[in-house]
Amino acid sequence: MKKLLLVSLILASNAPAFAEETPITGNVQTRCLITTDTNGVFGNPSPTKLSTASTDGGVVPVVRYDVTLADAYLAKVTTPTEFSSSPALSDSVSWTGSTAVTKTTDAGMSIYETNKVTYGQTTQFDLTIAGSTWFSSESAALYGVNKSFPGGSYTAVILAECIAK
Amino acid sequence: MKKLAVVALLAIYATSAHSEYLYGITGNMAATGHTWGMNSVGPSNQRGMRINGVYYQYTPIKNTEDDMLVHVRNKRVGGDGYIFSSTDDWSGLPGGIAITKGFVIDNLPIELWGEGSIDIEGTGSVVDANVVYSYKYNEGCTTPMADPSCPGYADAVLAMMRDSTVEYYDPMGDSNISDVLDEKVDLDEEDEKENEEDEDRGRLERILSGVDESVLSANILAQNLLMFAMTNNPSMNPYYDKKLMGGVYKETVVLHGGELPDNKKGARAGLAQQILHTQMISMQYDKTE
Repeated sequence: MKKLLLVSLILASNAPAFAEETPITGNVQTRCLITTDTNGVFGNPSPTKLSTASTDGGVVPVVRYDVTLADAYLAKVTTPTEFSSSPALSDSVSWTGSTAVTKTTDAGMSIYETNKVTYGQTTQFDLTIAGSTWFSSESAALYGVNKSFPGGSYTAVILAECIAK
Repeated sequence: MKKLAVVALLAIYATSAHSEYLYGITGNMAATGHTWGMNSVGPSNQRGMRINGVYYQYTPIKNTEDDMLVHVRNKRVGGDGYIFSSTDDWSGLPGGIAITKGFVIDNLPIELWGEGSIDIEGTGSVVDANVVYSYKYNEGCTTPMADPSCPGYADAVLAMMRDSTVEYYDPMGDSNISDVLDEKVDLDEEDEKENEEDEDRGRLERILSGVDESVLSANILAQNLLMFAMTNNPSMNPYYDKKLMGGVYKETVVLHGGELPDNKKGARAGLAQQILHTQMISMQYDKTE
């Protein structure tokens, strides 16, 4: 009995493997396109503040969402919470930001602004209508407690996402 | 004939002309109010101008609960209605958010575009309105006939054809041509006669040529026979060389004596013929008959 078992195991190990892995490929064409319409610029109304608001001498960044499929995507825009590049900072930076619908290609899209959801630095819009929507984000940074920013170049990034529902 | 000439002229103009379109956009036509004229669109005196796009933007000012329709449109010249019209329904929607729209227009001539306006139905208003037209024009359209794409091109060509006096030339009424044709007819008849004579002459020549060929063949045959006879040199020597052996040829027939009986049947036949012959001879002397 023991020999018989051994022979069976050898036969099984020598049997050819009739198995094949067939790949399946496919492409999904995006129906949500995000484009930077206007690059933002920080204004420096005071030594302690950097702001994109036009009243502060800045330029508000604008991002455009082009959606060809209605009611299928969420737009999420997150204002910065840190500088991506800056001089060495020894104190904390306090960030504020907001995002709003500033222009649409359809009157019905104006409801996006009413129905937007904000949490933290992120604002979420439900893109229920096909077309283009422009979102403007204002961002401001305060350094320490009435502390002046060190001289140099400052860069921050706004994150715009299109999330399928 | 006239239509053919018109078509030919149109074809000539169409092939000789070439189009160089220039493009441009207007400023904000709604900058000074919510109505505007179209006379200021593009360079002046450009007859071939066509509108190929309309873009507008405005910001509605309204309460969300109010109903409001905003019409951006242009009247149609020479007809009722509008050549362009776009309506945004802001009813139940918040205001304060700008709307922007763009439309591609199928190159409609500027002559069809009447007064433009932003009209509001309901409660609310519009601020920061911006209406822009894009256009193209053919710089060469100083006259309608400068290019087939210029407005009024076909009418101008037809008018030119109507104004011009077309004199018809009847070639059959020209005495010079008719004389030449008559001469040609005479020449043709002479040619036909000559051709017939040539044909008869040809037939005779063919017949004679047949006789000549027969005579020639006979001559050739005779010559061949003569040559054959001349070349036929029989060898006579064998005959000359033949020698007859001499000697005496003795009579071998031997007649035995005896009596040969007369042939009585022959005698009867011969006698009868003789009698008949005699009678015939005698008959010519018989005068009784």
